[in-house]
Amino acid sequence: MQKELNKEQIISILQKYSPTKDNILKCLHELQDAHPQNYISKVILEETAKHFKLTKGQIFGIVSYYSMFSLKPRGRYLVRLCKSPVCNMLGAKSVTEYFDSKFNLKPGETTTDGMFTLELAECLGRCGKGPSMMINREVVTELDSKKIDEIINTKK
Amino acid sequence: MYNSFPKISLQRFGKINPQSIEDYSANGGFVGLKKALSLSPESIIDSIEKSGLKGRGGAGFPVGLKQKYTSGSSAENNIRFVVCNADEGEPGTFKDRMIMETDPFLLIEGMIISAYTIQATKGFVYIRGEYYASIENIKNAIKICYEKGFLGQNICGSGYSFELDIALGAGSYLCGEELTLLESLEGKRGYPRIKPPFPAEKGLWGLPTLVNNVETFSHIPFIVEKGHEEYSKIGTEGSKGTKLFCVSGNVTNTGVYELPMGITLKELIFDIAGGMKEGFEFKGALLGGAAGTFIDSSFLDVPLAYETLKEKGATLGSGAVIIIDDKTNLKEMMISILSFFKHESCGKCVPCRIGTTLLYERIKKPQLNENDFLWMQTQASYMVKNSLCPLGQSPDLPIKTVVKFFKNDL
Amino acid sequence: MSKIIEIQIDSKVVKAAEGSNLLQVARDNGFDIPGLCYHKKLTPTGACRLCVVKIDNTPGLIMSCTVPVKEGMKITAFDEELEQNRRHTLSYLLAEHNEEFDDSYEDEIRPLIKRYNLEKPENRPLKPIWQGIPRVVDNTSPVLTYDSSKCIRCFRCIKACDEIQGKGVLSFADRGISKYIVAGFGEWFNSECDGCGECIQLCPTGAIVEKPFRESLKISEIDSKVITTCPYCGVGCQTEIFVKNDTIVRVDGVDDVSPNDGRLCVKGRFGYQYANSKKRLTHPMIKRNGVFEKVSWDEALDFVSSKFSEIKQKYGSKSLAGYSSAKCSNEENYIFQKFIRIAFGNNNVDYCTRLCHASTVTAMLKSFGDGAGSNSIEDFETTDCLLVTGNNIIDTHPITATYVKRGKAAGQKIIVIDPKWTPLVKYADVWLQPKLATDVALLNGLINIIIENGWIDKNFIENRVEGGMQAFESLKELASKYTPEKTEEITGVSKEKLYEAAKIYATAKTAMIATGMGMSQQTVGTNNVFSLINMCLITGQIGKELCGLNPPRGQNNVQGATDVGASPVNYPGYIPVTNEDNRKKVAEIWKVPFESLDPKPGLTTIEIMNAAYDGEIKAMYIMGENPVVTDPDRHHTVEAIKKLDFLVVQDIFETETTEFADVILPAASLYEKDGTVVNSDRRVLRLRKAISAPGEARQDWQICVDIAERMGFKIGSYNSPEDIFAELAKAAPIFGGITFARIEKHGIQWPCYDENHPGTSTLFLEKFNTESGKAKIFPVDYKEQSETPNTNYPLVMNSGRLLYQYHSATMSRKSKVLNAYANEAYIIINPEDAVKLGLKDGDKVKVTSPRGSLETTAKVSDEVLKGETFMPWHFNEAPVNALTRNEIDPMSKIGPFKYSVVRVERV
Ligand SMILES: Cc1cc2nc3c(=O)[nH]c(=O)nc-3n(C[C@H](O)[C@H](O)[C@H](O)COP(=O)(O)O)c2cc1C
Ligand code: SF4
Ligand code: SF4
Ligand code: SF4
Ligand code: FES
Ligand code: FES
Repeated sequence: MQKELNKEQIISILQKYSPTKDNILKCLHELQDAHPQNYISKVILEETAKHFKLTKGQIFGIVSYYSMFSLKPRGRYLVRLCKSPVCNMLGAKSVTEYFDSKFNLKPGETTTDGMFTLELAECLGRCGKGPSMMINREVVTELDSKKIDEIINTKK
Repeated sequence: MYNSFPKISLQRFGKINPQSIEDYSANGGFVGLKKALSLSPESIIDSIEKSGLKGRGGAGFPVGLKQKYTSGSSAENNIRFVVCNADEGEPGTFKDRMIMETDPFLLIEGMIISAYTIQATKGFVYIRGEYYASIENIKNAIKICYEKGFLGQNICGSGYSFELDIALGAGSYLCGEELTLLESLEGKRGYPRIKPPFPAEKGLWGLPTLVNNVETFSHIPFIVEKGHEEYSKIGTEGSKGTKLFCVSGNVTNTGVYELPMGITLKELIFDIAGGMKEGFEFKGALLGGAAGTFIDSSFLDVPLAYETLKEKGATLGSGAVIIIDDKTNLKEMMISILSFFKHESCGKCVPCRIGTTLLYERIKKPQLNENDFLWMQTQASYMVKNSLCPLGQSPDLPIKTVVKFFKNDL
Repeated sequence: MSKIIEIQIDSKVVKAAEGSNLLQVARDNGFDIPGLCYHKKLTPTGACRLCVVKIDNTPGLIMSCTVPVKEGMKITAFDEELEQNRRHTLSYLLAEHNEEFDDSYEDEIRPLIKRYNLEKPENRPLKPIWQGIPRVVDNTSPVLTYDSSKCIRCFRCIKACDEIQGKGVLSFADRGISKYIVAGFGEWFNSECDGCGECIQLCPTGAIVEKPFRESLKISEIDSKVITTCPYCGVGCQTEIFVKNDTIVRVDGVDDVSPNDGRLCVKGRFGYQYANSKKRLTHPMIKRNGVFEKVSWDEALDFVSSKFSEIKQKYGSKSLAGYSSAKCSNEENYIFQKFIRIAFGNNNVDYCTRLCHASTVTAMLKSFGDGAGSNSIEDFETTDCLLVTGNNIIDTHPITATYVKRGKAAGQKIIVIDPKWTPLVKYADVWLQPKLATDVALLNGLINIIIENGWIDKNFIENRVEGGMQAFESLKELASKYTPEKTEEITGVSKEKLYEAAKIYATAKTAMIATGMGMSQQTVGTNNVFSLINMCLITGQIGKELCGLNPPRGQNNVQGATDVGASPVNYPGYIPVTNEDNRKKVAEIWKVPFESLDPKPGLTTIEIMNAAYDGEIKAMYIMGENPVVTDPDRHHTVEAIKKLDFLVVQDIFETETTEFADVILPAASLYEKDGTVVNSDRRVLRLRKAISAPGEARQDWQICVDIAERMGFKIGSYNSPEDIFAELAKAAPIFGGITFARIEKHGIQWPCYDENHPGTSTLFLEKFNTESGKAKIFPVDYKEQSETPNTNYPLVMNSGRLLYQYHSATMSRKSKVLNAYANEAYIIINPEDAVKLGLKDGDKVKVTSPRGSLETTAKVSDEVLKGETFMPWHFNEAPVNALTRNEIDPMSKIGPFKYSVVRVERV
C-alpha cells in the first residue's frame, strides 16, 4: 500500500483551489484525507506554503493550531472519541479504558499495524446519544464494548 | 403534544429528502425568498427588527439591528459579506447539525434573504470540520441552488447577485466566536480579534460582514413570508419565536426539540422528552453547554427564555440542556469542562491562557475546600474582567453556579 | 495631518492626535502604564493585558493599547483596582515564566516585577507552573536562540518580522498554554529567516536572544553605546554600537531616525566582527626585496612622499593617480581629492562608482542635471507603483526593501524587470524576464506601448521637457520600431506582459523607479538609463512627490564620495573641473594659486588602469579599494598594477591588491572614525568613533595631510573631521547649510543651501538641475553586444551580489555569522543547459571566458533563462572578474560586469 502522498498528487489537489487564503483550511483537509497516513506531511506543508504564498512557519503555525490536523503519521482509521462533559457523564472514560485493555490502544497512540489511531476529541455534536465517537467519517454513538468490537472488527 | 407547537427550523424535519430542491420547493421552500426579492432591503430589515428575533448562537443579539449596522457601514467597492456560523462546538449542542442534515435549503434561503438585506456580494457557510454529513448536504444544496438560479448572477431574475461557498473549521471551539471565525476563514490561526470594530463594520477581509448562526438564518424565510406579527406571536415578551433545545443526559428521549421560547424545563423534560430514564433521578441541568450555567430542580418551572433565566442568574446560551441526575459525577464533569477550556484556549491573552490551566489544575485536587472554591471564583472573576475574548470569561458561570448548587458534590 | 484633540488622563488634560494610540499617548505624557505586548512600531495586539485602564462611560476594564483616542475621553490610568489587576496579571505571567537571567539582553519584565513587589516568592499569589509546560528550544540559527520557557507569547517577534521587515517568517505553533514561536518547520536555520535580528531587538524578554557574545556579554557592564552609520551598504542605517573593552559586542538599530527607524539587516547587525579582527593592518609596511617589513610612520610617510615627488618630477604630474574610496567618509574623500588636485597636480581621482552607477549618474546628469536618487527612502513604501529594474533590492538594499514590502502589504503595485529571479519577484505583480543586455529594446518597447495607448503625460512633456512635444516626436519615431512583436522577439518577454507592465507604470497615480547594477554595468549602461529616463519623462512620473528615479547605492558612502568631489570631472558639489569661476572660488578656500589647479578632466578608474598598463601612469595611491577583485578583466588589472613604479595602498586589511603594493598604510575602519557619509537618498549622516583603531592604524585623512605636507604641500590644518566638513560646506553649495550640530540626531538630505534650508526630500519638484531647468529626452537605439555566444563560449554569464556578503568580501567574510549563511561561490545554470552539459546540482565545474577561467560549483536552477548563467562575485577563490571584459561603456566608462560569454565544463 502507498505510504506517502507524493508531490505530484499534492500539487494536483492544490491546483483545484485558487490561492486565496479562504481555501487554506479546505485544502489542508483534502490533503490530509488523501494522505494514506492521515496527516499533513512535510511535503504537504512545503507545497501548500508555496501555493498560498505563505512562509514555512506560517503554514506550520496554522496546521498545528487546529486539532483536526496532525503533523504526525496516524493510522488508516482515526478514532476520535469524545471526552466532553456529556459523553464524559455517560461513560466516555470507560470507553477509553476499554480501548486500552482490549486493543492496547491509548489516546494519542497508533496500533502497531498502523491501522488505528485513538484520539480524544471535544464534543462531536452527538451528545444526545453519548458516549460518541467517529471513526474516520463514520459516527458511532451509544458506545459500549460490543459496539466497539463490532466496528473495529469490520475495519480490520 | 410536541407536534402541536409551531415549527420553523424543523418544519420539514423528516418530511422531505434533504438533497432534493423539488421536495423543498414543494413544501413551502423559497416562498420567503421570492417575496423578499420583491421588497426593499430596508423594509425587510425593519420587519426582522420588529419580529424580535435574536441571535441563536448564544449571545442573543437582535438580528435586525445587526443587519442594519452591517448595511449601514461604509464598504470599499460596496463589498459586503454574509457568513453563517455553523461551527457548532459548544458541548451539548447539536441543533445546527440537525438543520443542515435535514433541511439544508432552508439555511441557504435564509442566507440569501439576509444577504439581500445588506446587499452582500458573497457569503460563506463556515462548518465545523467534523460535520461530514452537514458539509456534504450544504455543498450539494449550494450546487443545486446555482443550477436552479437561486445563487449566482441575477437571482430569480431579480437583478440581485450573490455567491455562496462553504468554508471548513478544523477542530477549534474558539473559531465559533464570530471574530475568530473570520480569522479562521481567512486561513489563519484562530485568534480572536480586538473588539471593536465588530464584524458589522470590519469583518471578513476588513469589510462589513453579517455573521449569524444557522438556526438564526433558518428563521428569516418564515418572518419574511408570514410577517413579523405572525412570528412575534410565538414566544415570550422578551424572547420571540421558537428555539431548538438540545436535550442530553439520562433522559428517555434525548434529541433536538423545537419549542416556543418560554417553555419550562419541566415541560421539556417530563412532558416532551419522556422524563428520566429508568433508574435515574432528575437533579438539575447544565444550560447552555460548557460555558453555561448549572441549575438545580428549583428551576423546573422557570420559563426557558432569555429574560426569565437571566433574572435568576442562568443562561439559555446555544440551547444545550444537559440533564444531571443523581448518579452524575459532578466533579468529573467540572474536570471535563475546565479541561475543555484549557484545551480550547488559543493562548493569545495572559488571563485565559494561564487561568484555564490554573483552574484545571485546581479542580483536579482531591479534596476541594471552601478556600479552593473561593480561590477558583476569584480567578474566574479576574479572568472575566481581563480576558481578551469571551472564552476566557466562560469558566466563570459554570464555576460559580456549580459551587452555588452542588458544592457538596465536588 | 490628523486633528489635535484633548483627552483627560487621571484628570490631567492631554493633547493628542485624534485616533492615536491611547497607551502611547499616556506614556508620552508621563503616565507609565505597564504593557509588554505593545510596541509603537507594531499594530496593537492586546495579549499581555497589563495596560488596563478605565474609560468613562465604557463598561469594564479596557486595554489602553487597543484604543484609538477620541475627543473628550476621560481615562483613569491609575487606581487601586487597576493596579491590583495589573499585579495579578503579572503574577500570572510569572507563573508561566522561567526567570533565569544572564544579563546578555535587556529584559522588560524584571523592572515590572520590582515595581509590583513580586520579587520574593512569598509575595507571589501563584506557584510556578512553567516547569510543567513543554519547553521548546531552537538553537539552529547562527544569530539567535529561542527558548519558550522565557517567552511571554506577546507576538512582538512575529509582528516585527512581518510588519516591520515584511518577511513573515515567524508564527506561533500549537495553541493555549503550550504554544511557542516557530520558524520554518521548527528549525530557524532552515526557515526563510535571513538573520536580520529584528525579532531579537523587539523581544521584551530573554526568549529570543542574540547568540554572538552570549556567553560573555553582560549588558549592565557595557562600557559605552555609540550611535553611528552602518559601514556596509548605501542605505545608511543608523546603528547603536555596544562596546566592551574596546570591542564591539552588539549592534542595534536606532529608533525614530531615518533611514531605518530601528531596522537593520544581517550585515549591519552581525557584520561587525571585522573591526576587531586579528587580521587588521596595524603597522605601516614597506616592501623590501619582495617582503613587507614593518616600519615606523615617519619612515613610511617619508618614503611615500619622496617617491611620489620623485616620480612627479621625473615623469610629470600626469604620471600620478589615485583611487578614492566609497568606504571612507566624506571628509576623507574630500581630503583625498584635494590631495590629488594639489599634491599630484592633476584630476586623476576616481573610485569604484565607476564600476557601479557611473552610467546611471552620467545619464541622469545629462537628462536631469543631478545624478542622485530623487526620492526619500520612505517613498518606497508610499508610492503607488514601484518599478525595479536590474536591482536585487531585497539582497542588496535590505532596509530599502522593507519599505517596499510594507508598501506591497498596503496595496502597492510592483513591477520587476530582471533577467534573473530575485526574491522581490515573490512580491511582484509582473515580472519581465528579458534576455541579458536587451534592456534598451525592452524599454523602447514599453515606451511604444505607452505612446500607442495614449498613456503619456502631455502636460508634463510640454512644460518640463526640453523641446516639449518636438523632443517627444523624435522619441516616438524611434520607439515606433519597437513594436510589441519586435520587442518580444528581441527580449523574449511576451507582449501581454509588456502591456501589463507598461499600463501599471504609466497609469499609476504615482510611480517610482529603482534601477541597479543590472542596468548600469553594461557597455550600453548609459543608454539603458537613458531609455528608462525617457519612459519616466513621457509619463510624467518624475518631478512630483512619490515619483522619480532612484539608483540605490551599493556602498556606505558611494554617494558621498562623488558628492564631495572624488571624481575626475567634478569638483565638490558636482561643479565641473572645467568651471573656472568655481576653481577660482575653491582655490581661495584651499589657499592655493588658482593656476595650480588643473583645468582638464582627469582619468577614470578603468582609464587609469589602462594608462598604467600602457606605462603612462607610474605611481598610484589607492585608499580603501581593491581593484584586483573589483575591476573588470582581472588579468589585465594585475598586469597594469605590476607595471607601476610605485604603489601605495592604504587599507584596513591585506587584500588582493596590497600584495602588489610597495607601501601598505594601515587605516582606521568606519567604526573607528568621526565624520559623515551620504546615503542613497542623499542624507548626510554622522559617523562616530565607537572603538579605537588597532595598533598604529591612523585616520585616512590624517595620512593624506601628512604625505602632502612631506611633499611640500599644505592641504590644510584640521583638528577634526568637523573642521573638514565646515570647509567642504563652503566649497560645495549643496552642503552649504549642513553642520555637525544640525545632523546630531537626524540626517539632512542635500541640497541644503543655508542653515535655514530644511534639506530636500524629493528632487526636481519645481525644476530640473539642467541649464534650462528642463529635463532632456535622449532617444537611444538597441545595440547588439560586441561579444555574443558562439560555439566556443555558448553561454552568457551575469554576475551580482548576495545579502550575506559585501563587495570583495574583505569585511563581511571576517564575520562567522555571515559566513554561516553564505560562504561559497557557485554558478547558477538553467536546468535545460545542465542537462545538455550533463551537469547536476553540486558538480564542480570550470568556467572559461576568452579572458580566463575559474573553478566553482554548479547550482542548477530556473532562476536564470536558458543560455544564461549567474555568479556571485564576492568570492576571491572564484574571481568572477577573471572572466569579464575590460571593454567599457564609451560614455560612462563603466565595465560590463553583467555580460561575458563563457563555457562551463565539469572538472
Ligand atoms: C467561544 C465561543 C464559541 C462560540 N461558538 C459559536 C458557535 O459554534 N456557533 C454560533 O453560532 N455561535 C457561536 N458563538 C457566538 C458567536 O460569537 C456569535 O455571537 C454568533 O455567531 C452570532 O450569531 P447570532 O447572532 O445569529 O447568534 C460562540 C461564541 C464564543 C465566545
Ligand atoms: S531574524 Fe529577522 S528574518 Fe529572522 S525571524 Fe527574526 S525578524 Fe524574521
Ligand atoms: S519570543 Fe519574545 S517577542 Fe516573541 S512572543 Fe516570545 S516573548 Fe514575545
Ligand atoms: S541595509 Fe545596508 S546600511 Fe542597513 S544595516 Fe543592512 S548593510 Fe547596513
Ligand atoms: S459531549 Fe460528546 S458529542 Fe457532545
Ligand atoms: S500592552 Fe496592551 S495588552 Fe499588552
